[in-house]
Amino acid sequence: MNIWFRQHRFALGAAFAQVRKTPGSFLFNVLVVAVALALPFAGVTLLDNVRPLSEQLSVDPEISLFMKSGVAREDAQALAPQLQQLLAGNHAKISFVPREQALDNLKARNGGLDDVIDTLGDNPLPDSYVMKLEGFATRSGAASSADPARIDLLAEHMRALPGVDSVQVDSAWVKRLAALLGVLRLALLLLALTLGVVVIAVVFNTVRLQVLTQKEEIAVSKLLGATDNFIHRPFYYTGALLGLCAGAVALGAVALALRPLNTAIGEFARLYASDFQLMALPPLAVAALLAISAGLGLTGAMLSVQRHLARLK
Amino acid sequence: MIEFQSVSKKYSADALALSEVSLHIAKGELVYLAGPSGAGKSTLMKMVAAIERPTSGRVIVSGHDVGRLNKAGVPFLRRKLGLIFQHQRLLNDRNILANVMLPLIVAGAPKGQAAERARAALDKVGLLERVKALPMELSGGEQQRVAIARAIVNRPQIILADEPTANLDRAAADKVIDALHAFHSVGVTCVISSHDEQILDSAARVIRLEHGQLVEGGV
Repeated sequence: MNIWFRQHRFALGAAFAQVRKTPGSFLFNVLVVAVALALPFAGVTLLDNVRPLSEQLSVDPEISLFMKSGVAREDAQALAPQLQQLLAGNHAKISFVPREQALDNLKARNGGLDDVIDTLGDNPLPDSYVMKLEGFATRSGAASSADPARIDLLAEHMRALPGVDSVQVDSAWVKRLAALLGVLRLALLLLALTLGVVVIAVVFNTVRLQVLTQKEEIAVSKLLGATDNFIHRPFYYTGALLGLCAGAVALGAVALALRPLNTAIGEFARLYASDFQLMALPPLAVAALLAISAGLGLTGAMLSVQRHLARLK
Repeated sequence: MIEFQSVSKKYSADALALSEVSLHIAKGELVYLAGPSGAGKSTLMKMVAAIERPTSGRVIVSGHDVGRLNKAGVPFLRRKLGLIFQHQRLLNDRNILANVMLPLIVAGAPKGQAAERARAALDKVGLLERVKALPMELSGGEQQRVAIARAIVNRPQIILADEPTANLDRAAADKVIDALHAFHSVGVTCVISSHDEQILDSAARVIRLEHGQLVEGGV
């Protein structure tokens, strides 16, 4: 075990020595990889900030059911058990809104229009139900694609109930939000995959050049009893180190970019009485992205070493 | 220690490097390999070091059957050998101490211990005062002595020296041969290939190859 640790320490030292030998080249490669990583990292930061907002928006979609004007109060109230049955298992909050209360609400909301409303004479508003579908949408983001469809289906059933004049569903925005976030996530995934391949290719080429420049050292080491692992490890560490440094630079660049962005976003958000700001990623997410960066570097190095050392043999 | 049993090696259909060679080298023996260029000396040495494998026959080195040795076993066989090449193959970007430490580092020795043993090996070949020199700063003879220090630093059972005096003047060649004899005198098996008839004249045993066939000094 001591020998194993010692050889890993030697490999890490060899990787750092390689960096010290060609610092300019290493720095350039770090910058290239960092540029490739910065875009998906920025996307992750944006989605991480938008997610709580979208969760907040996607809860409690409403269905409003309006009775026909001639339907008796008792008949209207008799619909409540049927509505509860339709919404069973959906954590729905059903409120009956008598026409008088609806008129009061209208007056309260439009204080300056009392005179106009009074000229209407009889209350023109029908009895109605307001159903808040609490928890109907998933909490992991926007509503799942099935949820808006289920809301539409429920509305269809409600329209068929006796005495019902109309049913309004406000699920369109849920659909739009779900679709938009779905597209954003997919776009981010595709971008991350594409740029991940770019990172692997850059590290692959960097390690290829190192293998070529250290050809003699590799050959001599093998003749002196070096195992394949001993030969490969320094290159693996170089690849992982390159990925890690590039990941750190990319995260730093994204964090720096947040400051001017937040200035612009702050002015925009104030127009809507919001204090929304983009926040830097939490430490766990930062650690995960750094690990992914190092992993991509390691993958590029492993592919390169397997291919080019096999050729040297 | 080293045994060849009817060993043949073909690099291609019409390139026969060794043909039905059988020989035995006992532990602690000093043997010279002689023969003109292309006789098969280097191929024979490469087989001992598991750089090449026989096309037919068996090569046994320190109890290992080279032909059947798996990939993972090769480095462990090589750690029992000390290899000296005609063109030293020192690493020019590191000093001679680091060069001599290399066989110990690849075997997993602690750095301090490796440095200590490398200094002792360099002392034995008379180069202790040059530990910080780069290989390019040394003469050909000194570089070959560094190569000898690198070969003996891991206390090998066998030293294989492929034309170690080929590019040296008489005085430097004598120093190299003296160093190899000194290691043989403490029980290390030495196999040295050479063209140098002056050296071969004084040898106790010479194995001579011609056109891949053993013509003198076999079993």
